[in-house]
Parts: sequence; C-alpha cells; structure tokens
Amino acid sequence: MNDLELQAIWQSYDKKLEEARLLNLQSWALNLQCFEALQKQKATSKLKSLINLKAFIAFLGIVWVAFLSFLVYHSLELSKIFFVVSVSAIIIVNIIAIVVYITHIVWLKQINNSDNIVSTQQKLARLQTSTMWITRILFLQTPFHTTWFISFKMFAHASVGAWMFQICITLFFTWIAIWLYRNISYKNMDKKWFRILFSSSEWTSVVKAIDFIKEIEDFKKDSVS
Amino acid sequence: MLKENSKEEFLQLIQENKGIIFRICNSYCRNKNDREDLAQEIIYQLWKSGQSFDNEHRFSTWMYRVALNVAISFYRKEKSSNAFMPLTDNLAELSDKNETNDEMEEKINLLQQFINELKELDKALMILHLDARSYSEIAEVLGITETNVATKLSRIKDKLKEKFNQKLLTTNN
Repeated sequence: MNDLELQAIWQSYDKKLEEARLLNLQSWALNLQCFEALQKQKATSKLKSLINLKAFIAFLGIVWVAFLSFLVYHSLELSKIFFVVSVSAIIIVNIIAIVVYITHIVWLKQINNSDNIVSTQQKLARLQTSTMWITRILFLQTPFHTTWFISFKMFAHASVGAWMFQICITLFFTWIAIWLYRNISYKNMDKKWFRILFSSSEWTSVVKAIDFIKEIEDFKKDSVS
Repeated sequence: MLKENSKEEFLQLIQENKGIIFRICNSYCRNKNDREDLAQEIIYQLWKSGQSFDNEHRFSTWMYRVALNVAISFYRKEKSSNAFMPLTDNLAELSDKNETNDEMEEKINLLQQFINELKELDKALMILHLDARSYSEIAEVLGITETNVATKLSRIKDKLKEKFNQKLLTTNN
C-alpha cells in the first residue's frame, strides 16, 4: 500500500464524514447569534479559572507570610531565638512557593494554542505537574514546625527524656523532608511509595501529565533506533 | 491577522477548512456529544487566537496548530470517557446515508481504527500526513524536525501496512 492509496482511503472517509454530518458544524458555526452566545458562555475559560485559582492561593500565601513576618518582627529578642529562626525558615519556604505560583501564572498567560503542538502540550503538562513541585518545596518547612516553640526555659526545666523525644522528632522530620524533597520526581513515579503518596484522585491528572511529558520527550527524539 | 470583528471573514475561512475540524474531532472523540463539544471549543479557540494568525502563513496550517492543541488537551481531559467504541457504530451511521462498496468501507474502518489506537501526538502526525501536508509543514505544526517527521511516519506506516496485510490474510483464509 503506497501513500496515494492511503490518502485515497482517507479522502473517501473524509467525504463520508462530511456527508453524514456526524458533526452539526455547519448549522451552528454559521449561525452568528449562536456564535455570540458561545463566546459569552465561554468568557471565563478553564485556563482563566486556573489563573484565578493560582492567583488566589498566591494571595493567601502572601497574607500568611505577612502575618508570620509581623510575629517575627515583634519577637526579635534573644529569648525567642528558636521561634524567630524557625518561623523565618517557614517564611522563606513559603516565599519560594509563592514565587513558584506567580511563575506558573506567567506561564499560564504565555500558553498560546497557535504555537506548535509539542511546545504547547509540554507547557500544559509541566503546569499540571507543578502541584508536585510546590508540594516538594513545602515539605521542607516541616522540621521547623517542630522547633518554633522551644525556649530557653525548656533547657532549664525539661527532662532528658523530653529532650531525647524532641531531638528524635526533629531529626525524623528533617530526614523525611530532605528525603521527600530529593525523591519526589517523575523518575520515581513507578515506585510504590510514590503511588501511595500521590494516589488520591486530584493527583491522578498530575501523574498522567508526567506520563505525557515522557511521551513528548520520546516524540521529540530524532533517534532512528 | 484576522480583522477585529470580522466574523464573516472568520466564518468563511472556517467553512472553507471545515474538513480539518471534522477529521480532528472524529479522530480524537469517539462519542457524538464529545465531538460537538470539541468542535465548539476548537472554533472558539480559533476565534480567540485570531490575532495571532500571520497572513504570511497558510490559514490551514495555523488552523491545524490551534485545532490539534485544543483536541489533544480535550482528549487528555476526557480520556476516561474515550474508551474505544467500535467504528462500525459510526460506519453504520454513515452507511445509512451513503452507498459505497464493502471493500472501501472495510479499508476506511481499518484505517480509522488504526488511527484511534495511535498515541495523541502520533495521531496528529498521521492526520496531517493523510491530509497530504508536506514534511516541512508537518514539522512546523508539530514543532519537530523534518527528519523526525520522516522517521516517525515511516514507522507508523509500516505498522499500518502490517495491519492491512493481517486483515487481508484473515479475509483470504
């Protein structure tokens, strides 16, 4: 079978498609009033609502960071050093997450359907996976949630057992935060722990997007093998 | 660039190139309602992206880029409901309205079934090729090199020939 034969079959199919009017395209696409209504109906596209959602989350993040900064500013004294250092670290992690969110909003605004397929689909799939990168960054703040309440009074009054418990908890969360930061990656998406961690329905689209990124990378390869 | 508020011009271009929408909707959606939704989404996105159309390029090339991007995104969102539906359902719908010979119908069925089984990007490549687009145009729409287009098409066509030969063998036996 050569190209001409193949194209002849396709053209026959094309003709049948058009004659059978499997799509009611002509009737409504040529109807200007219907088209106007469609425009209004789709005024807030899905992409726009995603931009709004990300902007809202970034705004909440800014409010949270402002509140924490206020607390730190009014606690700048040696006796509250653990609180100041821990909350400052939490602020830094949150600022990074906010910057990532704002970057995503810029990417979303840059998505243009008239760009080539590989580039547009890659941008869209990367955005879907962005939730995973933000989660990865936010995990880094966990150990600081186990230290902000430590004070010099605790040094004088807490028992050795209490200190051991505190150290173990902080070390455990430090280890888990670093380990998750280093291992939450599409390279590990086939691992059991990854599937369990990202098994809820909201993560399904993220995992699918990761698969699709791999597919795009394969598609871009020039290899003849 | 399409002139602002030039709906007549836009609709005329859509009418002239409606085959592209038919082909893409039918290749990416197995369900009639989804096809209608996708067609609407494509036309809406074409209208919205009209400002980005460069008159130095063919309208159909630009239209393919927008329509395929919308279709792939739509397909990925609706994938779960896009389970394979035997094409005979569609053909039954077609056959009622058209008298064609059985052999051609069989070939069309086989070709469409083959396209449906392709991955999203390979499907786009095959649709463009079957519409007799040049390698350079396909490369421009997809964003890959011409060499890559040639390599991939050759592989896909080999698989297609194999499928047709298998079918022929089965029919002869």
